[in-house]
Amino acid sequence: MRNVLTGILGCLYVGPILMLLLGSLQGQGFHNYRSVWERVDFLALLENSLLIAGSTVVLGAWVNSLAGYALARLDFPGRAAVLTAILVAMVIPFEAVAVPLFFSVSRLGVRDTLMVQILPFVANGFSVYLFYTFYLEFPRELEEAARLDGANAWQIYARLCLPNSKPALATHAVITLLASWSAYLWPLLVTAGPQARPLSLAIATFLATPPLHWGQVFAFGVLMVAPVLLGFSFLQKHFQPNALSSGIK
Amino acid sequence: MKNRSAWAMLAPAAIGLVLFVLLPFAASLVLSLTDLSLGSPNPTRWVGTLQYRRLLVDPAVARALGNNLRFALVIVPMQTVLALALACLLHKPGWRLAGFYRALFFAPVVFPMSLVAVIWRYLYAPGVTGPLNRLLAGVSLGHWQPRDFLHDPQLALPALMLLSLWQGVGLQMVILLGGLQQIPGDLYEAAALDGAGPLQRFRWVTLPMLRNTLVFTALMTTILAFRVFDQVQILTHGGPAGATSTLMFELVRSAFERLQMGRACALTVIFVFIVVLLTSLQRLVLGRLSR
Amino acid sequence: MERRILTGQLKRFQREHPGPPVQLTFLPEGSYNSQVQAAALAQQLPDVLEFDGPLLYRYAWQGCLQPLDLLITESTRTNLLPSLEQQGTFRGHLYSVGVFDSGLALYGRKSLLNRVGARLPDRPEDAWSVSEFSRILEDLSREDPDGQVLDLKLNYQGEWFTYAFSPALASAGTDLAHLGSPAANRVLSRFQDWQSHGLVDPDLDDAAFLEGRVALSWVGHWEYPRYSQRWGSDLCLLPLPDFGQGSRSGQGSWNWAVTSNCRQSGRASEFLEFLLEDRQVLEMTAGNGAVPGTLSAIEQSPLYREDGPLRLFSIQLTQGWCQPRPATPAYPFLTSVFQQAMQDVLHGAPVSRVLTAAAQDIRQDDLDNQGYR
Repeated sequence: MRNVLTGILGCLYVGPILMLLLGSLQGQGFHNYRSVWERVDFLALLENSLLIAGSTVVLGAWVNSLAGYALARLDFPGRAAVLTAILVAMVIPFEAVAVPLFFSVSRLGVRDTLMVQILPFVANGFSVYLFYTFYLEFPRELEEAARLDGANAWQIYARLCLPNSKPALATHAVITLLASWSAYLWPLLVTAGPQARPLSLAIATFLATPPLHWGQVFAFGVLMVAPVLLGFSFLQKHFQPNALSSGIK
Repeated sequence: MKNRSAWAMLAPAAIGLVLFVLLPFAASLVLSLTDLSLGSPNPTRWVGTLQYRRLLVDPAVARALGNNLRFALVIVPMQTVLALALACLLHKPGWRLAGFYRALFFAPVVFPMSLVAVIWRYLYAPGVTGPLNRLLAGVSLGHWQPRDFLHDPQLALPALMLLSLWQGVGLQMVILLGGLQQIPGDLYEAAALDGAGPLQRFRWVTLPMLRNTLVFTALMTTILAFRVFDQVQILTHGGPAGATSTLMFELVRSAFERLQMGRACALTVIFVFIVVLLTSLQRLVLGRLSR
Repeated sequence: MERRILTGQLKRFQREHPGPPVQLTFLPEGSYNSQVQAAALAQQLPDVLEFDGPLLYRYAWQGCLQPLDLLITESTRTNLLPSLEQQGTFRGHLYSVGVFDSGLALYGRKSLLNRVGARLPDRPEDAWSVSEFSRILEDLSREDPDGQVLDLKLNYQGEWFTYAFSPALASAGTDLAHLGSPAANRVLSRFQDWQSHGLVDPDLDDAAFLEGRVALSWVGHWEYPRYSQRWGSDLCLLPLPDFGQGSRSGQGSWNWAVTSNCRQSGRASEFLEFLLEDRQVLEMTAGNGAVPGTLSAIEQSPLYREDGPLRLFSIQLTQGWCQPRPATPAYPFLTSVFQQAMQDVLHGAPVSRVLTAAAQDIRQDDLDNQGYR
């Protein structure tokens, strides 16, 4: 019974994916891939997306976990205020700040770079909150022991907490990676040419650039999605779904 | 000592959030009270609540908001139910195919929305040759008349909903799956010993244990329903006749096609207001439920 | 393609006119206007800018550009196509020059048109009246398997709708500033009728005419290579239908201007003059198939001269059978509103309601910007 139901749903689900794969061979077959390769500098686009997503995840992991730790474990005046500010920031989605951010970024003349697609997304209210709730539940005894040994806050954070934050880090990585990888609005606004353009935007540009060959468009799609799917299936072993939901409390 | 560490640790995140979230939003608030036009040599003037008053009576905005609401009201229950169903189906420890299916259902999540839009644009092709039209014709044994989904005033929004559903269910499913796996087995055993059948076990063990997660994912999906942009921009550009226009789409169009910055900022403020409202509702609901 | 040619021409320029190097920055299609606005905000505009014609007026109004009156020689100016001079003029000054122009027409299949007994005008003054056109469409449709006989390139995005269909407004005696007029209503209703009678092919694959699914294609000069290769002598070029005041084609294309922060206007002037020399003009238009922007170049162009297959376009541009897009700083707003109106009407929305709302929006925008003084 289970098999039948999942089987049916699976078929419906895999339909579009199959269409993508098979469609990429329509018309010219594998030549479509070659055409795509010739028409756009695919490697450069891929590199852009990887750099942007990777940097955002790594920098974000460091920046947000630090803040989350400080909020969870250290006592300081204004803690409640900061916490409230974090909650407010969590609630403000990116689209709400896109226009003024576009303004400032234009005024400063820093559009069309990779940096401008990374920096605004490093500090993330949601991730801070994630780490905050995670560190709240961290066993205090270990910290007490470390403090007795003379370790300061930084050392406790770096040597003790961070290495043991796998679930929270995983959640942060997945959510940030997904958001960054499929970013469309911001790159649309701030990139001009293909130098800093990510894949997510490039496929829409490719679709709108004549001549239109669906086979090539699909080939582009396959090329675009293959590395990420491979990456994720590789991470499957390390990526525990429990992490996501325990990270969310 | 401790204080200094704390502030130093907070600094990067704090700077980032202030610079890239709080300040720009404050700017939006301020600019929404002006008539700023992108690049205009005319001096910008204070217009008070003019932008808001105009937005409140603008049929295009009402339509967009209505579409977002419709989106949320349909997607949230459907996606949650489907995700829960899939999670339950896949929650069988030791089932070899579980991993495979999990990867399959999760795969679309990894596709950028722009790619999803491109794929479904092809699927929704009008005429008898369009893949979806062909499928429906086959399934209905020839009774189905081919439709132009993306240009049909009735079908365009549901078409967008379907592809968003396809893309989004996987993530929700994985989160719920994680939640399911955290439910201690003994609870189920105890319930079974008390004579509870599978449906009752679901209702009295599974659902309560998943409650927080369910509410959380529902909220996430609702907020996402109000952020819908990519697929509208790429597939329908708000058409036909505003049937798929959304808040974000109106915002971007006002700002960058029509160069009306003041108006766009006002839309931003309204947008955040709605999100805050929803989040507060969630806390209320969660609070009530835990009693 | 155009970029490649331009890069080559730039090298030649540097060789033939040694001096300070000229740097080219290419901006992509789509969101072009916001790119320029962003660059303007950052004071990062290049010395010389190439952009789509109708955006000129807004940039000039914003003070981004400097007039070319003194930078272009008299002889070059008179050599320019009158249509291009019209496109490039704002409030009495010339702000831009174009290396090429464009044209719209109806491509048709002679065999199919002959079958329904339609006459084949080859000059704008003989164009079909819009009622004649509608009748021909209906006649063609009866002979067509799926009934769809007209391709309006509905698969194109954005600016196409204004470029291709607002000249019909001029043909009816009205314009974008008067969308609430009865004439505008008549024009858009016609399009809606053709759509609702099933006469228009959605052309998702951009190949309706190529594959013979339609008998007529309402599109510009750029389709000539593909179409002529496919249909050869069965291809005919017809002027757009006359909505009352004469057939009107669209016009305008990318043009060059000098920005106000350019410190080397002499060099910029040299560069623009160079681009407008026959050799460069012909090289560019051979590459992109567009109408050469100068009278001297047209005479040498195999496609566009007196006995060329595309002389219809030349006639339209030199004898005033074309309508440039309105020379107003409100253009970005106008085109956004019109595109939406056109698309809504094509989707069956009530024409009066759509046009009244559009006219109202335009009026409001004008007020908001203090009349764009």
